[in-house]
Amino acid sequence: MTTLTAAPGTSTRDTSTGRVLARACAAEWTRLWTVKATWWFLAAAAVVMLGIGTIAGLEAAGDADPPQGDPAWAVSRISAMPAQFALLALVLLAVTSDYATGGIVPALQWTPRRTVLFVARALVTVGTATVAGVLLAAGSAVAAFTAARPLLRLPVDEGLDVLGTVAVVLAAGAALAVGLGFLLRNAAGGLVTVFLLMLLLPLLLPQFGYEWMTELALVLPGTGAAHLLLGEVPGMTTTSSSVVLAAWAVGAVALGWARLVRDDANR
Amino acid sequence: MIEVRGLTKRYGDVLAVDDLSFDVQPGKVTGFLGPNGAGKSTTMRMMLGLDRPTSGTALVNGRPFAALAEPLREVGALLDPGSVHPGRSGRNHLRVAARTNGIPERRVEQAIELAGLGSAAGRRIKGYSLGMRQRLGIAAALLADPRILVFDEPINGLDLDGVRWIRGLLRRLADEGRTVLVSSHLLSEMQQTADRLVVIGRGRLIADATTDEILRGLGNLQVRVRTSESGPLLAGLQAKGFTAQRVDDNELQVDDTTAEQVGDLAHALQVPVHHLTEVQQSLEHAYIALTSDHVEYHGGRPEETR
Ligand SMILES: Nc1ncnc2c1ncn2[C@@H]1O[C@H](COP(=O)(O)OP(=O)(O)OP(=O)(O)O)[C@@H](O)[C@H]1O
Ligand SMILES: [Mg+2]
Repeated sequence: MTTLTAAPGTSTRDTSTGRVLARACAAEWTRLWTVKATWWFLAAAAVVMLGIGTIAGLEAAGDADPPQGDPAWAVSRISAMPAQFALLALVLLAVTSDYATGGIVPALQWTPRRTVLFVARALVTVGTATVAGVLLAAGSAVAAFTAARPLLRLPVDEGLDVLGTVAVVLAAGAALAVGLGFLLRNAAGGLVTVFLLMLLLPLLLPQFGYEWMTELALVLPGTGAAHLLLGEVPGMTTTSSSVVLAAWAVGAVALGWARLVRDDANR
Repeated sequence: MIEVRGLTKRYGDVLAVDDLSFDVQPGKVTGFLGPNGAGKSTTMRMMLGLDRPTSGTALVNGRPFAALAEPLREVGALLDPGSVHPGRSGRNHLRVAARTNGIPERRVEQAIELAGLGSAAGRRIKGYSLGMRQRLGIAAALLADPRILVFDEPINGLDLDGVRWIRGLLRRLADEGRTVLVSSHLLSEMQQTADRLVVIGRGRLIADATTDEILRGLGNLQVRVRTSESGPLLAGLQAKGFTAQRVDDNELQVDDTTAEQVGDLAHALQVPVHHLTEVQQSLEHAYIALTSDHVEYHGGRPEETR
């Protein structure tokens, strides 16, 4: 058995907040990748995005009237729509699993400055979801391009535009998920809420035919995401979509942060 | 050094911790003793910045825990050993801890060895026994060699070897000059390990003294005596001013006395004694006595202050 290294440490060392945050981010990174759920959801997103890309490419190739030189990037926008939910679930579970397992207790023992913990977890999870989304969106287009060769093109400028849009949509959605996770502290509740806000309500509300419901749908984050990705939502512009998405993301993050900072750890 | 001042925590109608003040000194094992629901865990959670006090403060090394930049280097704590992500391996759990405080990776392996986790460190926590989880929690607490240690019922779930190991560890940590606070609801457990005791009941401080002082304070022994002639013995005891009552036909209980006194009296009365034992008052019993005293002492308030 080893003995403890030395006599008890002496001074109360002061470490800059920047350094504490950097360490917290490193720890969050390890936290994220040492549980299976992260890998599963990432795999699900990859299957959806690369699968849709490949299928779209094969279909284009088999078309009786094959497209001549259309950009492959269109498929990235389409595949990002369903795949984003796997990445949002990844983010949400990364936040709420600490509440389900009680892991928030050691987490706050090791990083008791709660704003630091919040910022670190938000940066790492939102960053991971966004980067993964962008890489997979690029992969989706490349898969379509490869499967349809030589019918499709991969123009760089349009690629940057599409990947930028995917990044914005995923960053906003992931921030929403982080905020909801810290606010609700519950995986099931968080998943249902994300799904309602990002998919079901924007889709269903306009179907009822009441004007106020249609207008309500226009201020939901899912409508903003759908317009930015697919561009088919009447009554929305790029600006209004971005504003709606950002407002939801900021609002959820603020509420989640407030709950983490003010409330008891997990009682 | 831990300083608790006027610490109070209210959950709705329940006053879990009620105006608690005490110090935990370095170089000693301080037992934090109280029956179930007394407020030990709640107090420790407030010390560690997990729960917000309704009022009062708890300082570690003169500062609130929640202000610390490198808490693991100052305070190692084990609260609920079940509060960990079961899908991670023990080693990865400790790695996360090490990253948060900038602790070198080799300390992780040392802590694993120190806590006796061995090859279990590579397995997922899901498969750990309660005793293994306790050891993992202790490994995390010792990771950065802190001066202050806070353990909430660390003996729970450990086998005899584990219990001995914990006792030795607590002793060694205190002898190295560290501040050690360890909670328990068992006086018998604490009397073997703790130098000082902070006793609470229903959230209030009952006693804060050395273990010896407290044991002496609780020391009113009861004697049980079995005899075929319980009637004459009971009468004789009461005539001598003892508080005695009948337990059943052949057995009596005598308060605040020793076996010698009862045995001598029985001999003088020529009553045959079949069995004679001293019983230490049970701690729960003593708590109830102490707590009700405590309430009266404060002027006969009703049980709960609302
Ligand atoms: N979140 C909560 N909401 C309401 N009451 C609570 C909450 N947490 C604790 N309590 C109450 O506070 C009191 C103190 O609980 P605490 O867990 O601190 O006791 P304890 O001394 O650690 O007991 P044990 O020996 O059982 O661990 C109990 O009456 C408990 O029911
Ligand atoms: Mg407890």
